[in-house]
Amino acid sequence: MGKTTLENLKLGIFVVIGTILLLLAAYLIGNRQNMFGTTFEITATFKDASGLQNGNNVRFSGINVGTVKKIEMLNDTTISVYMIIEEKMQKHIKKDAIATIGSDGLVGSMLINIVPGAGNTKLIEPGDELQSFSKVATQDMMNTLNTTNENAALLTADLLKVSHALTQGEGTLGKLLHDSSMANDLQQTITNLKYTSNHANSTMAELNKMVRSINFEESTAGVLLSDTASAVKMRDVISNLDASSREIKSMTQNLNIIIEGIKKEDGAINYLSKDTALVGHLKRTMLNIEQGTESFNMNMEALKHNFLTRGYFKKQEKKQKKEAKELPD
Amino acid sequence: MLDLSVTKFVKSKLVEPIKHFFVQIGELSFFAGRFFKEVFTPPFEFKELLRQCYQMGNRSLVLVGVTGFIIGLVMTLQSRPTLIQFGAVSWMPNMTGISIVREIGPVITALICAGRIASGIGAELGSMRVTEQIDAMEVSGTNPFKYLVVTRILATTLMLPLLVVFGDLIALYGSALVENLKGDVSFQLYFNTVFDALSFGDVVPATIKSFFFGFVIGLVGCYKGYYSKKGTAGVGLAANTAVVMASLLVFVVDFIAVFVSDIFYEL
Repeated sequence: MGKTTLENLKLGIFVVIGTILLLLAAYLIGNRQNMFGTTFEITATFKDASGLQNGNNVRFSGINVGTVKKIEMLNDTTISVYMIIEEKMQKHIKKDAIATIGSDGLVGSMLINIVPGAGNTKLIEPGDELQSFSKVATQDMMNTLNTTNENAALLTADLLKVSHALTQGEGTLGKLLHDSSMANDLQQTITNLKYTSNHANSTMAELNKMVRSINFEESTAGVLLSDTASAVKMRDVISNLDASSREIKSMTQNLNIIIEGIKKEDGAINYLSKDTALVGHLKRTMLNIEQGTESFNMNMEALKHNFLTRGYFKKQEKKQKKEAKELPD
Repeated sequence: MLDLSVTKFVKSKLVEPIKHFFVQIGELSFFAGRFFKEVFTPPFEFKELLRQCYQMGNRSLVLVGVTGFIIGLVMTLQSRPTLIQFGAVSWMPNMTGISIVREIGPVITALICAGRIASGIGAELGSMRVTEQIDAMEVSGTNPFKYLVVTRILATTLMLPLLVVFGDLIALYGSALVENLKGDVSFQLYFNTVFDALSFGDVVPATIKSFFFGFVIGLVGCYKGYYSKKGTAGVGLAANTAVVMASLLVFVVDFIAVFVSDIFYEL
């Protein structure tokens, strides 16, 4: 009897644990499909369901928040997708959220991604319809790829022609490829370039040395480069220069006018500059003046020796000597 | 003379087995019909039912557990390289979860039970038939069918689904262990992914299927033992054919179950 009771006890434990495990598994699976717990329903309308199925996940910002409950075809371009969303997520989803159909990984099943909108609108309510955005379908992608392929075919055909011409040595590039002397020239050029760049290097090094040797604190260049006050002064100088140049300009203009006047009008200067006979007259006059001064000098000498004026000249001589003596002191 | 021998050969090698096959199916159907008639009419042999449940359920648990664990372990180890090649090793829990719960768990458990339980029942009832204990029961007024057959078939029908649950869980644990050791997948992530991948469409048909597996195993074991031929050879034959037929019927039932559940759960 005791043995039977023990057996029954063990059997009871076995059955209870087995049943609990089965129910637990059922609960876990149901929980994943939002069969338990409080939920609410929203919809979204798509043009293409892209293989979406009932029970597929609904994600909001990457978190599983619900499942697809029903997919209904309204007309040939409108498909309504009903989604069950966990109620605790209601406070996060806003009315301007956008629903898109995506896939879970490269080979994963399809799912609905709800992306938060940019605005600050009201929270979503049960039964609301979300905006939807249909991504590029595979067919469209294939169409684009097809066009790309055709273009690629044309491109490769052209490339083939180009490469053919190149191998045949046609055109500039072809000659470039085939001309061996050009290669030598190029090599020479490069060698020269190298040599030049070496020189440039050393020149730069020297320049660097020079620049380094400049005393930036005290030299004119340094002051020019670093002193802000001199910058202001320089600006003044430049503005003054500007003003001066303007004045010079106006002056030259005036001068021009004067010269023009001289050229045109019958003034003295014009007469002077143009009359050649006057030069002869002037020369003679100058000669007369010279002769005059000579005879004046002689007169003066005669005056010095005259008894009437001799006293005055001696006085002058003494005075001059006295001044000469005082100066070296 | 030649014609006669050919006819005899054809008759013995072709006609007889076919006839035997249909006879067996007919007898089995009658046997099942009698079971359904007897199971709902009192008196009910509860104590014997519990004893049988213990014998078939608890006593098979270790065997089912070890088998399940090894199957889960081996399946994961074997499919890992291929999945890695495809870069889909993260789909391992989904794959093993669905295949174990849907198919491998119930079928392996049923086959193990067919080997252990059907042969046991066949040998037990066969020897009872041979030693005329069944006849003695009938004489003493006890309904041997009710006492021996109904309890056993009910016990296997009820116990097998539970064994399948345990077997599935242990197999998944074995698979998770490999993933945990070789692939750095935590147990939590593994089981989360498994339950993510599973749906009621996987669990419910598998559970219903297990009831039928249990029923078939009990039915075949009892049928073979109950109608065992006389002699010790009859007992051995009863045990042997019970295992073979039960295993075969498990696959037939599996095929039908998958076929039907595919119609119901077609996605």
